[in-house]
Amino acid sequence: MKTQYEAKTLTLSDIQELNAVNSAAFRDAARAALKEGLTTLDIDLSQTRLVDSSGLGALIALHKTMCARGGAVRILHPNPMVQQVMELTRLHRVFEIVKT
Amino acid sequence: MDMTLICPGDASEVPALARKRPLVLAPFLGRTVLEHALTALAESGMKNIRILASDHPEDLRSLVGRGEAWGMTVQVVPSSPRTCDEHNPASSAEPILILDHLAQLPQLPLWQSYRGWYAAQQALLPALARRRVGMREIALGSFVGLRSQVAPNARLLGPCWIGEGVWIGSQAVIGPGTVIEDGSYIDEGAEIAGSIVGPRTYLGAFTELRDSFAWGSDLLHLDTGSLTEVGDRFLLGEVQTQRGLLGCLVQAVRGICAAASSPQRGPGPASLSGAGVRLEPMPQN
Repeated sequence: MKTQYEAKTLTLSDIQELNAVNSAAFRDAARAALKEGLTTLDIDLSQTRLVDSSGLGALIALHKTMCARGGAVRILHPNPMVQQVMELTRLHRVFEIVKT
Repeated sequence: MDMTLICPGDASEVPALARKRPLVLAPFLGRTVLEHALTALAESGMKNIRILASDHPEDLRSLVGRGEAWGMTVQVVPSSPRTCDEHNPASSAEPILILDHLAQLPQLPLWQSYRGWYAAQQALLPALARRRVGMREIALGSFVGLRSQVAPNARLLGPCWIGEGVWIGSQAVIGPGTVIEDGSYIDEGAEIAGSIVGPRTYLGAFTELRDSFAWGSDLLHLDTGSLTEVGDRFLLGEVQTQRGLLGCLVQAVRGICAAASSPQRGPGPASLSGAGVRLEPMPQN
């Protein structure tokens, strides 16, 4: 996973999968990368081939973390298959999704 | 009267419909496209049908048999995709029908897009619902089949088709423009609109299905053609039969009740056994 800071935004990218194997590590790494003063967490899912319920749980956990800090999470460029899973679980109503 | 029915082998525009079974066996309002076509042919007076099929003809044969269900003689003939796709009706002496549309809807091609296949079902929904045995219109444009259960506080927004043996949970919202095929289970709070749920499919609680076709764990978007396989069975999957210890116990109780009500019937050679109890297989519907 790559991290990039720009002003008050942290962008996470190069995420291949978000599933039961790596979602907890992803969540913990993302939380560790959050610095004081960040208001936006962008998660770039353009490289992500698979998201299951564990991965969705990690995204929700980060959403709650950012909300508690007065910030927000944005999902960037999910591929159509990931987008379908987010719509099935209604998470497209929770996150701001920036499509390609 | 004789007729040759050609099953298209080219699924290039709708590959997801032919991923696991031949295109003409795609579900269509309680039956398959092929069954609807044979019904229309039988009603038009055809007596002998020759089906040319390039994709898994044995699957077609096991479904239609020799045509007894339609009062016709049906023969499934394996053929090459080239034969099926390039057969020229004008050059043949006997009538030929290419199953790229249904007789009731000559203006709506079935296999040019997923939307076309969906639109054909929407167009025929009211007429086929009124013809299907046991199907009732329980709200305006909302049809429900035999042995289906709809929770009292579920909402049905017509037009929608709920097949046989379907379970709709509390606070679910079904329709408009929805088809739920036989044996499916829609859990509480799920919302479906403009979509098709295939046979024996479980849709999880509080999920949302829009402009999609869900069958088993496959989820297809009707507009983009994007197909994904959902890995979490509590979200989307095939309806499972009772298995394991709980299933054995349930069947044991049922078997004891059946034995008590008909003591002359003993367990046959195909009986199941489990947890020290021998049971008769459950009757298949």
